[in-house]
Amino acid sequence: MKHPLLLILLALLLGSCGKTAVLPTQFTEVKEQANIYPDYRDVVIPANIAPLNFQVRDAEADEYVVQIAPGTSENDAILVAADADGIVQIDTLAWRNLLEQQRGKSLNVRVFAHRPAGWIAYKAHTLTVAEDIDPYLSYRLIEPGFEIYRQLGLYQRNLTNWDVHTIYENNRVYEEENNHCINCHNYQNYSTKEMLFHVRANHGGTIVVNNGKAQKIQIKADSILAAGVYPSWHPNHRWVAFSTNKTSQTFHIYHDEKIEVIDEASDLLFYDADKNEVRNILRTRDDFETFPCWTPKGDVLYYCSAHLPQVGILPDSLKGPGVIARYDSVHYNLMRMSFDEKTQQFGQPEMVINAQAQKKSISVPRISPDGRYILYTLGDYGQFHIWHKSSDLWVKDLQTDSCYALTAANSSDVDSYHSWSSNGRWIVFSSRRMDGNYTRPHIAYFDKQGHAHKAFCLPQEDPRHNILLLKSYNVPELTRDAVRISAEQLRDCIYDTEPTTATYKN
Amino acid sequence: MSKNKRQPHIGGARQQAGAPKSVSATAARKGASNLPAKAKRRLHLPLLPIPLITFVLLWAWIALWHGDEFRMIRENSFFAFDSTLMDFELGKQNGLLWTIGRGLLTTFRTPWIGGLLLSFLLTASCWMLGYVLRLKGWLRSLQYLPLAIFTGIFTYQGINNWFEAESGHVMGFPLIIFAVLALASLVVRFAFHKPAPAIICLPKDETPRHNRLQLYAVLLVLAAPMYFGQKERPYVRPLAQMQVGVMEQDWQRVIDVAHDNDELSNRPMTAYYAMALVQSGQIGDRLFDIRIDYDSIYAFGLNQTFNNTNMYLMESDFHAGLVETSYHHAMESMAIEGPTLRNLKVMCKAAILRSEWEMADKYLTILDKVPFEGDFVRRYRPMLRDRKKVDADPEFALIRKLEPMHDTFENYLVLPVFLGYNAALTEGRSQAALLNALMVSIYTKSIPGIMARLEPLVGTTPPSSVMEVIALLSGRENGLKNAFPSTEMYMSRLANFIDETRQYVTTPEERAKHARELFPRYKGYYPFYYFFGNLKSTRKVPKDANSSAGVN
Repeated sequence: MKHPLLLILLALLLGSCGKTAVLPTQFTEVKEQANIYPDYRDVVIPANIAPLNFQVRDAEADEYVVQIAPGTSENDAILVAADADGIVQIDTLAWRNLLEQQRGKSLNVRVFAHRPAGWIAYKAHTLTVAEDIDPYLSYRLIEPGFEIYRQLGLYQRNLTNWDVHTIYENNRVYEEENNHCINCHNYQNYSTKEMLFHVRANHGGTIVVNNGKAQKIQIKADSILAAGVYPSWHPNHRWVAFSTNKTSQTFHIYHDEKIEVIDEASDLLFYDADKNEVRNILRTRDDFETFPCWTPKGDVLYYCSAHLPQVGILPDSLKGPGVIARYDSVHYNLMRMSFDEKTQQFGQPEMVINAQAQKKSISVPRISPDGRYILYTLGDYGQFHIWHKSSDLWVKDLQTDSCYALTAANSSDVDSYHSWSSNGRWIVFSSRRMDGNYTRPHIAYFDKQGHAHKAFCLPQEDPRHNILLLKSYNVPELTRDAVRISAEQLRDCIYDTEPTTATYKN
Repeated sequence: MSKNKRQPHIGGARQQAGAPKSVSATAARKGASNLPAKAKRRLHLPLLPIPLITFVLLWAWIALWHGDEFRMIRENSFFAFDSTLMDFELGKQNGLLWTIGRGLLTTFRTPWIGGLLLSFLLTASCWMLGYVLRLKGWLRSLQYLPLAIFTGIFTYQGINNWFEAESGHVMGFPLIIFAVLALASLVVRFAFHKPAPAIICLPKDETPRHNRLQLYAVLLVLAAPMYFGQKERPYVRPLAQMQVGVMEQDWQRVIDVAHDNDELSNRPMTAYYAMALVQSGQIGDRLFDIRIDYDSIYAFGLNQTFNNTNMYLMESDFHAGLVETSYHHAMESMAIEGPTLRNLKVMCKAAILRSEWEMADKYLTILDKVPFEGDFVRRYRPMLRDRKKVDADPEFALIRKLEPMHDTFENYLVLPVFLGYNAALTEGRSQAALLNALMVSIYTKSIPGIMARLEPLVGTTPPSSVMEVIALLSGRENGLKNAFPSTEMYMSRLANFIDETRQYVTTPEERAKHARELFPRYKGYYPFYYFFGNLKSTRKVPKDANSSAGVN
């Protein structure tokens, strides 16, 4: 809430709040669980997460009481009252104490609704309190459509409370000479000490931030396909593996999926931020490599690749139409190359998962911090699964060599663009499950046995935020610390400095 | 001068000493009986409460003359009592002011109510300007400067008041002027104890001449923009009327406005007219009743390119059955301008048609937070998760018949944007869809396109425009006469037409030169359109290849 005047106005209009909660003494128990939005029923939650505020949806009820109790005990329970709108907002301090007290245990949430015939008690649901999650979540907010962008920004949410910090926002008002896009924010080792993101169109370049100091880089050379796109920081050095993609998108006219984002060509780049040098890792005509990802040791680079010789031979102007014509038969496999830190040389590409053989396609591989699991998105075709309803989260266990879907965390809608927490116990990903269009970050517990649990939506102070916000959350990334550079410093770098062009090194 | 010193009673009103010396001195010197007859008549004119008259005239000017324009400004605006929803506006420079301006604009759901408020703000601002500057005598006419600025800019901007514009300005600027002058008035009143002139009662400090001068000033600042608008922006009011008609699904009103202004020609008006004809089942008979030659209009949008297709693209696609494409354009409109009632409603309706219930629910929840949008929400909310109710809606039922049969990509859609992008449609769910595609071919004068789409009509009695096309093409396509035997009457008229216009079809320049003067005689007649209409629009190019701008 940035405007105190509006806040006061809203407060006056909304009238008094702070209803006192009294547990009903007489009620009828019903077998169903309460219909709550977002669905926070029977989920595993981090011990340091902000209160899971929700809205109860019961057309007959005119008031509610919610009891959040440790286990089956009613001692130390939190009681929350809600009006007919069903908005349950939990006291942050009491919630924090309760979660701290219940680490490794469960909370019992009971919803009571007052209907004309009297109080009813819905069947209780549980919240299991697990390990902490990294406290900061970075994301981009942008309208989910489509080819045109205007106002957008990178933000960082403190997951332990409601604070949102603006990392960087572009211009709020349309200005032909200043309009620009920002994307692909990325951090090294879950820390904000090293971070980067791209600026496209006006003031374009890649912003590389080293310990709070920003620099604008132009990763561009005749010998490379295009600018750097999807990044992955090497864990031990200021090196970044980028994909370089010629990306475009096209729009269905009668389909459940609205957009198809395609690559007309793509390769992999290696960028040394200390020397400001760039070189190709893979420069191929018939293979489209993308989404690089280092292992936590930095000795292997995973990536996705599609083999499209029938497109590769086409002239550039026909490559886009060539891919569009066969968009639903483009399949990306999971590949890897070994890497020698000393010589900075890569080994030969190896197939890790042959998705094409299953008529499937893999994108966004992310290695767990312990190096054991590869988390990826599997869809029917293509690489931009955030627009594919078939996309689900899968893992490959590198110890057992088995691949399996994270069924409990997945939904019938899009689940994609995921990242790990630094302790490997949490995954956060974008999902369109709430309405099919606007992505919202979802968090799922990933246990020591390698199974993900039911995911829950990023909690908001007012749960209706997820309905009212007309933007999508893109690229959720967890970090242990807050971003160390201000939006104003980034703005100065973006607006006032010319990019330094990276030197191409063979 | 003492303010208690009274002058002789002239013309039925008491005049204070503040009146100009020339009148009172003349009256005193010559005496009332010695005045010439003309002067006597002037002096006996009663004094009028000009601020009150201004208020009423301005109210009518806003609500009656420009009411539909204000409704469209409101429709292209968004306001809700919610900071999450208004964040896009509040984050701008002076965002709070423009947000309040948008809030006030919501009253234009009924132009008489919005007009009342705006008229009050402007009239009061004028009165306060006069008070603060202590304007007396003929100078008091200058107090209507804020009104002149408003009416002048409003009329000059025309469509740009609501086409990709900051809607908060329309009420925001009058509000800020009002607020500043109110503050200044309070200072003058309480710090300097100056008496205020009359606002709703008869003025006591004016001569009849200066009183009339104010009236003429007010009439001028209202009438001059009206004249300018009619002369230089004659399409603005009809266009707003048609847009309101489309919004209310009052297709007959859209058609009537188009016919009343049949010589005005621009792309948005033609697009809305075509939409209304499709919805009312008249596209095959009446499309060419209006002049189609596309004069340029003063509407430049955000990118200042005068490309005004965005003004109607989402509605045009929606009513042509291209619901996904319509949703795409509405979403882009939201990305560029922020949410507006217009783009939210289109996205809501598209979501309902595509059975995306959660999405539709989201948009309805948001619209429910906009003051005075209850009617829309009450109409469409019952349709959620109820396909039968959706299909029973007359507008949706027709759009369902026009939806594509197969998926493809927008890249493969073919320009021009007319009735959506149906120029290349060869399969349809209904006769209506095929007729639309045929009419696009007829509109684009594409003979291969026409020939390919006439086949389903063999054995039927096609609409009159189609029969005129058949008659026109019969000379070069021998089989047509046999397939459509009842062309005799049309052939005969065609022969007459060719005789009458032979002299004008010698060169494209000649045709263009005489098109306008010939239109009244041949309006509604396809061969005239074929030779003299839309001389620039026969070009067909594929829509831009897939864009590489921001992938989200």
